[in-house]
Amino acid sequence: MRIRVLIGFIISVIVVGAAGLTQAEVISNFVDKINPFEKLELAGYLKNETAFGFADEHDELQKFKNAIDLKGNYKLNDSVEFYTNINFWYDAVYDIEGRFNDLTDKVKKSQLTMPEDKHIIRELYMDVYTDAVDLRLGKQFVVWGTTDGVRILDLVNPLDYREWTLKEFSDLRIPLWMLKAEGGITKNSGLQLLLIPDYEPNYYPPADAPFALRATVIGAQATPGVTVKTIENKPERTVENTKVGLRWRDVIEEGMFSGLEYTLNYLHTYDSAASYYVAVAAPPPVITLSRNAEQIEVFGGSFSKTITKGLVGDFGKGWTLRGEFAYISNGAMNYGKDKYNDGTEDIEGTVDVDQINYAFGFDKTFLTNWQFSTQFIQLISKPKEEFDQSKYTLLFGPTRGPLDKFENLITLKVSTDFIHERLKPEVLVIYGDDNDWRISPKVSFEVNDNLILAGGIHIFEGRPQHLHGQLDDLDQIFIETKYSW
Amino acid sequence: MKKLILLILAVFLISGVALASELEYYKVYQPKAGMTADEIMQIKYHNKYSLFGHDYRLSKCTILYVEKNGFTQKKEAIRERIVLGGKNGVSYKDVVVLTEPTQAKGLAVLTWTYEDPNRDQDIWLWIPSLKKIRKISASESDDSFMGSDFTVEEASTRKFSDETYKLIGEKNFAGYTFEYTGEVKYKGTPCFVIEATPTKSPWYYSKRIVWVDKETGGNIFDEYYDANGKLFKTLFREWNIYKPETKGYPKQDALECKDLRSGHRTVILNQDEAYDVGLSERNFTAKTLERSKW
Repeated sequence: MRIRVLIGFIISVIVVGAAGLTQAEVISNFVDKINPFEKLELAGYLKNETAFGFADEHDELQKFKNAIDLKGNYKLNDSVEFYTNINFWYDAVYDIEGRFNDLTDKVKKSQLTMPEDKHIIRELYMDVYTDAVDLRLGKQFVVWGTTDGVRILDLVNPLDYREWTLKEFSDLRIPLWMLKAEGGITKNSGLQLLLIPDYEPNYYPPADAPFALRATVIGAQATPGVTVKTIENKPERTVENTKVGLRWRDVIEEGMFSGLEYTLNYLHTYDSAASYYVAVAAPPPVITLSRNAEQIEVFGGSFSKTITKGLVGDFGKGWTLRGEFAYISNGAMNYGKDKYNDGTEDIEGTVDVDQINYAFGFDKTFLTNWQFSTQFIQLISKPKEEFDQSKYTLLFGPTRGPLDKFENLITLKVSTDFIHERLKPEVLVIYGDDNDWRISPKVSFEVNDNLILAGGIHIFEGRPQHLHGQLDDLDQIFIETKYSW
Repeated sequence: MKKLILLILAVFLISGVALASELEYYKVYQPKAGMTADEIMQIKYHNKYSLFGHDYRLSKCTILYVEKNGFTQKKEAIRERIVLGGKNGVSYKDVVVLTEPTQAKGLAVLTWTYEDPNRDQDIWLWIPSLKKIRKISASESDDSFMGSDFTVEEASTRKFSDETYKLIGEKNFAGYTFEYTGEVKYKGTPCFVIEATPTKSPWYYSKRIVWVDKETGGNIFDEYYDANGKLFKTLFREWNIYKPETKGYPKQDALECKDLRSGHRTVILNQDEAYDVGLSERNFTAKTLERSKW
C-alpha cells in the first residue's frame, strides 16, 4: 500500500511539475490560440495535495487529492459579463488506505472522494453593471466581515468541513444560487441586497473519514437494541423560504474618522449548521434525530481603520484595527451531558439560543518585513428556554462537548518572505480558552510564474470535547504542488 | 499577499508620495535654469504623480523580475487614477488590478493618497481567493516591494520632506544602457544634478544623486550610496511627452531598478496610457473592487 502511495505521489508530482517547468507562455499562447472568442478570457490550474497523519497510531495517509480548476469570463460589453469557475477533484486516499475498504462506494463517491455533483460548478453568474446598481445573478459566494478564518458575520454561504478548516477558504465555501444587487447611495456608500432561494447545510465528513467530527463519531456509535434514524429537514425552495440579506457600507472621507470603513448587516436566513432534535419511541427503542435548519435573524456590523497619522507623534501609525459583531436571534442548540466523560446519553434536548459573537483584529508590519496579524474572538451563547443547568450544559455542535457561556479564541499569524518573495514562510496559531490549540507553520516557494510548491504541518492539541482537541490524533504534514496557467 | 499589493502600488506610484504642495494641480511645470534644488524636486514629484492631469488610465503594465542568471518572472496589471486636487485632503485615488500571473489574477488595490505629507495612504485590497475586501497597513519604508528592487519608500511613501536637497550643477547625462533592450538612453541629455540626503539617519542609503531631465522634469537616473559612500543601487526612468495630446504631459514609459550587490533588477514597462479620459470618482470605491473576479 505504501508503495502505491509513493508511486501515485511521484506520478502526480511529475505530471504537475513537468507542466510547471514548461514555459508559461507556451501554454498561455496555446490556450489563446484555441480560444475562438476574443472576448473570452480563460485561466485554470492543476493541483496535487498530499497529507500524512503523524500522530501516534494514526500515521496514515490522510489525503491524496488531485484537482483541476477552470475559470472563464466572457465580456459581452462594458455592462454585461458572464463568469464561471469549474472545479473537479478526486481524493484517492479512500482507494489507497485499507481502513476505508468498508466504506460503500456510495459514501465514498457522494461524501468523500469527489465534490458534490452539483458543486463541480463552483460559480456561474451574470454581471450587469449600471451607473446606479451592480447586479450579479447566479451561483456565487458572498463574504461579509473583516475577520480572518473565523465566521462572525460571514454567514451567507455554508462551509464544507470535510477537511475541517484546513483547506483554502476559497475551497471551503459552498456556493449558493442568489441575486446580489449593490447600489451606490453616495460616492463611497452603498446598499447591498441579497435574495437567496437556495439552501445547503454545512457538509460534515462521515464517521469513518479522517476528519470526522467528534459529534459525528459519537452519533454513529450504536447502542445495543436501539435503532437510530436521522432525518434531514431542509427548507423547501419557496418564495417564503427565500433568504434575505442587507448590507449598508460606507467609507468616511472627511474628518477625524477619514478612511474608516464600516458596515451594518442584516441577514434573514437558515442556520447552515442545523440542529438536532431527538425523539424517542418505544418499544422497540427507536431514536429519531431530526436535523433541522433553524430560521435565524442576524444583526451585525463591522469596521476597519488604518491609523494613517500617528496618535502621538508617529506612535500608532500603520496599525490596522478591525472588528465585527453579530447578534444571532432564534438559533437553537442541543443541551445534555458530555458522553465522553460519564457514558450517559449526550443529547438531552434542544433549546432556543441567542448568540452574540464579536471579534477584534490588529495588523501591523514590524521589523521591516514581518507581518503580524492577531485577533480576539468571543462567542456568547444565551439560552432563551429553561433547562436544568445543574445537570446539563449547552453542547458544542462539532464535538458535543460542553459549551461555556463565553468561549474565547485568540489567533496570531506571522508571515515574512525571502529570495525576492519567492520563499514565503508563515505560521498560524489559534488558541482557545479551554487550552485548545492549533499551530500551523507553512512554507511556499514560487518555482516560476506558474508553479508553486508548498508544505507545512498542522498540529492540534487539547481535550477531545473542544474545537481542535477533537483532532488531537490528526496532526498532519502536507505538501502541495500547484500549476496555474 | 499584502506585499504583492504594495508591489503593484510601487509599480504605479513608483514616484514616491512627496507632493509638490506649492505647485498647482492640473498644470504642467518644467524646470528652468535658476531654479533652486527644492523647486526642481517639487516639479519632479508633481510629474511622478501625474498631478498635472485630471485622470490617468494605464491599460497594460508589465513588471519583470530578472535575476543575475537571467531567470525572469513576470506580472501584468492595469491601473486607473483620478487626481482630486486636495478635495477632502485627498490628492489622488488609484485602482490597480493584477491581470497576470494566474495565481495572482484579479487582485485589486484601491489607494487614497492624501496631501498631508505626515499621513500614510489608506489601502484596501480585494483578495480573489477570499472573495473579500481587506484593509491593510502600509509596509515599512525600507522594506522591499514584493521582491522587487524598489523599496516601499521609493515606490510609494517617500515624501518631499523626507530629504534635503542640494543642486550640484547642470550636466549632460553620460547615458544609460537599458538592459531590457540593450539600447543606450539619454546620452548627452542636459540635466540638473541634485544631491538628496535623507532626514532619517541611519537609513538604508546615505545619499542619492538625482539626474532630472530639463525637458520633461522627470528624474531619469538615481544613484544610491551606502553609509560608506559606495554606489549600491541605480534607478533608471524613461520619460516621454504624452502624444497625440498637445498638453505636454510627461509620462514614464519604462523603469529599471538594479541592485548592484546582487545583480537582481526589476523592469517596468508602461504601455497604452491615456490621460483625461473622464473617469468618475465612483470608480474608486470598494464597490469597484468587488467587480474583480478570478
